[in-house]
Amino acid sequence: MKKKGLLIAFMMVFALTAALTGCSGSKGNAGNGGDPGNNNGSSSAAEQNTTDQGASGKLSGKVTFLTNRTDMIGKEYDDYVKRFNEKYPDILIEFEASQTDYNQQIKVRMASGELPDLMFIPDIPNSDLPKYFAPLDDLELSAEVTFKDFKSYDGKLYGITTGNSTSGIVYNKKAFADAGITEIPRTWDEFLAACEKLKQNGVIPLSSNFKDKWPLGNWVYDLPRVIENNKNFPNERLDMEAPFSMDNGYGKAMSLLRTLAEKDYLEKDINSTNWEQSKKDVANGKMGMYFLGNWVINQVIGVGAESDNIGFFPLPFDNSGEIRAGLNPDFFYAVNKDSKNLEATKAFLTWMLEDSGYEDFAGFISPLEGRESKLTQLAEFQATGVELQEGTPDDPRVIEISNKAQIDLPAIAQEFVLAKDPQAVLDKWNKAWAKAKKDLGY
Amino acid sequence: MFGTLSYKTQKNIIIFSFLLIPVALLLLFTYYPALKLVWFSFTDWDGYSPEKPWVGLDNYKEVFSNPDIFGVFTHNFAYFVMGIVQNIVAIYFAVLLNGRLRGRNVFRLLLFLPYIMNGVAVAFMFGYVFDTTQGSLNLLLQAVGLTSLGETSWLGTPGLVNYSLASTGLWRFMGYNMVIYIASLQAIPRDIYEAAKIDGANAWQTFWRITLPNMKPVIQLNLFLTVTGALEVFDLPFVLTKGGPAGASQTYVQRVVETAFAYNHYGLASAMSIILLFFVIIVVGLQQFVLSRGGSGK
Repeated sequence: MKKKGLLIAFMMVFALTAALTGCSGSKGNAGNGGDPGNNNGSSSAAEQNTTDQGASGKLSGKVTFLTNRTDMIGKEYDDYVKRFNEKYPDILIEFEASQTDYNQQIKVRMASGELPDLMFIPDIPNSDLPKYFAPLDDLELSAEVTFKDFKSYDGKLYGITTGNSTSGIVYNKKAFADAGITEIPRTWDEFLAACEKLKQNGVIPLSSNFKDKWPLGNWVYDLPRVIENNKNFPNERLDMEAPFSMDNGYGKAMSLLRTLAEKDYLEKDINSTNWEQSKKDVANGKMGMYFLGNWVINQVIGVGAESDNIGFFPLPFDNSGEIRAGLNPDFFYAVNKDSKNLEATKAFLTWMLEDSGYEDFAGFISPLEGRESKLTQLAEFQATGVELQEGTPDDPRVIEISNKAQIDLPAIAQEFVLAKDPQAVLDKWNKAWAKAKKDLGY
Repeated sequence: MFGTLSYKTQKNIIIFSFLLIPVALLLLFTYYPALKLVWFSFTDWDGYSPEKPWVGLDNYKEVFSNPDIFGVFTHNFAYFVMGIVQNIVAIYFAVLLNGRLRGRNVFRLLLFLPYIMNGVAVAFMFGYVFDTTQGSLNLLLQAVGLTSLGETSWLGTPGLVNYSLASTGLWRFMGYNMVIYIASLQAIPRDIYEAAKIDGANAWQTFWRITLPNMKPVIQLNLFLTVTGALEVFDLPFVLTKGGPAGASQTYVQRVVETAFAYNHYGLASAMSIILLFFVIIVVGLQQFVLSRGGSGK
């Protein structure tokens, strides 16, 4: 707290990004130029014949992929490259590990025009997509891609989801059995009864990771539209003066969380939670459940839980007995429109979607329609007869209003749960929303 | 070829050629970014698009029309209070460790060590100390029998959270202040103390009448660092609480960062940092004015 230079350092962060990325840019060019030519290729045939630069019909070149899965570099990715090179021996794949903030890093590189060949789309409006990315309508895939209109602009497809996820209750089966819960709850009352049983048995019923804020995302991004049974609900806020009310999706979803907090079904002190520890606690049964995306299943198994012991069911948000859950895309792949090896990059992307098996490794539902997951938990989830509700792309105007009003939904959920008077929290943000909406003229 | 030039010209050439690189670096890495920041504060830049629309003073108007933004300065008050405590403790240890004390170098080193540690690492470490159910602080309190105090949510109680965070800053920077104070203590001539002793002054009188007045410029320096530090604190709440619970530990700089990087209002965030710059200048100017009034008589 004592650094007098902090402000200056802060200024430099703003303005030096240009200079810094300039440096990395020249490095990248040097790398491209000085790379061993893989062009004198072996004779194995590449069957994929897309219109590429070399008339031979064989794709070659270097593809750089900026990835956030730094944990897979040197492990699974090496295996992917080996398998990929069996098909395309002349394409050199290079993985670049992202620093902690992927989104920010890509944006900085966008500003300096130094994008990798393959990357994920950061949070920019869809109207900006054609400025940076190549259309992907010509990929030859065996099935339709899901979330086709999510990252499209002017009828062209710019981004393909890396995998889809749904959200629900990930639970420790043994903890449930020990507490005497024999059937998975199908109504909110049954859910609360199950929580009570877990609590009586000395287990923390639901691990919210409240302090870390991001784990609350499913309560406020998915659940409201699922409760409303209206996939476009988040975008319909555009026409509302007061989008947050007790009797619509937002208020109801946040009230569910508040109820759990009031009944002490969450961590003992929700302002002091530990994400890494919570995974171990769910794995060993000290905590009963998570309400998160299905991606967390593999993480819980990764810290030592038996796969058979981890189950997954949709959160019953009311007492109607109808069960719905949101389907959401993860990061979207995109290809740099100025890539030197555009066709090679597309070939790699096609392979990643079709053959890599990344979605099973990462615990996703396949990005291609109609593919069945190899994960038992996802099969279990679907066996409950849940209706999966695809989301719609965010309306850029809604994002604009949210950003203008500085609305961060998980943060509002935190305020809502901690406040003495939750209605006042909603009123406050409704006011901010209305003001931003008016200022922007929507 | 230099022989034909006059002595004065030669001198100037030498001076300028030596200054060229440092001045160029200074301009490039300090003043150019600063000017860029000022320029951004008049635009509506979103952080990545090539065009940076000029909006004039709109950003500044927006900041001043939103009283909410300045409300977070109340959170900085805790850091200010702890900063004062920190300086008092630092002076205490400096005087103590400046005397004849066995193993004083070891103690100096021990007190200075936390300053060397990386701020984020310190924050992470204190995350484990302040944890409510597993934290070492609460376990210690419970072990000595203070069961109810041992259940305090140090980082989860609005109001308390800022003092918890600021105490981490105290732990970390006290040694740094102490070292500066020790240096200034050693610069005070010994004969003044001897003369005072002959006149029959006791320890407290020497401290109050000799040590403190002689340290005044250094105390001013340390207070300057404390005040600016308190206004600009960022890393501790960013790592430990993310501004929680419900924004109770959010600081101004954190808010600036959020505005820029989470909500994509780089222009507005730049304006906020420029305002902070002026705020610091005003507060420090005020402090200099108040402190230097009494000093002119001595």
